[in-house]
Amino acid sequence: MAPKVSFDQVTVGDEIPVHTKVVKRQDVKAYADASGDQNPLHQDDAFAQSVGFPGIIAHGMFTMAHLTSGLTAWLGDPSALKDLKVQFRAVVFMDETIEAGGRVAGLDPGSKRATLEVWVKVDRAGVSEYPIKNSQAIVQLA
Amino acid sequence: MALNQSLKGKEYEEVSFTVDRDRVTQFAEAIGEDDPIYRDAAAAKQAGFDEQVAPPTFATVLQIMTSGQAVVDPELGLDYSRVVHGEQQYEWRRPIVVDEVLKATPRIADIYAKKSNEFLVIEADIKDAKGETVVISRSTLISRGTGGQ
Repeated sequence: MAPKVSFDQVTVGDEIPVHTKVVKRQDVKAYADASGDQNPLHQDDAFAQSVGFPGIIAHGMFTMAHLTSGLTAWLGDPSALKDLKVQFRAVVFMDETIEAGGRVAGLDPGSKRATLEVWVKVDRAGVSEYPIKNSQAIVQLA
Repeated sequence: MALNQSLKGKEYEEVSFTVDRDRVTQFAEAIGEDDPIYRDAAAAKQAGFDEQVAPPTFATVLQIMTSGQAVVDPELGLDYSRVVHGEQQYEWRRPIVVDEVLKATPRIADIYAKKSNEFLVIEADIKDAKGETVVISRSTLISRGTGGQ
């Protein structure tokens, strides 16, 4: 499998296609089982309320997994994703829609690698919150 | 209670993990990854991989197993109810595939305080049977309110 995005097609400032996901309780439960992270903060509303949230929140890694899916869907090959460093800056509640996006921030012609600024956004009562921001990916282009 | 800064650099026991097909399929389903390379060996082989491919963040399964040792280390003094995941980095050298055996030795890379919080950085170099690095995981956990300021 080879990277599908050609280095020559890409310009600094280009945005990658937005990857959208509605976060459902059953998805977060499935993620807890698949990842092995059984923290009750992600499964038990009473526990989440005891630490100050209105209800359970998604795992940060659940949100990062969806950002990664958006990147690999664009790249067409998981081998092309070389590095991803994220900061978790806001929580995600059930039934919210997360939108993963990214923008080309730098291009290295020698290696044909691109640095992307990446984020995950959620619209909460008309305000954009960023569960992931100030984050970067390094990807291999063809 | 503040974290035990003297544990900076501490290495934990090596964890060995066989990449199970059902676990990879379960993980791909859980994150809604529907590319057949993550679900089906034949599709992955047709795309040039040796076996069914694990989604890139499948590395999280190993990260949770390895970092768990530090989280429960009584010498470290981490109160898990105060912990939030602050940052996560993966450096991938190649995709993980089904049936391979991976090994990782987690290590406390750093412990530092900033304002009222403390930061615990756990690194794990996840290697294959040949000893070659497949992915490096670097997790920053925030211990809220234990920084003393």
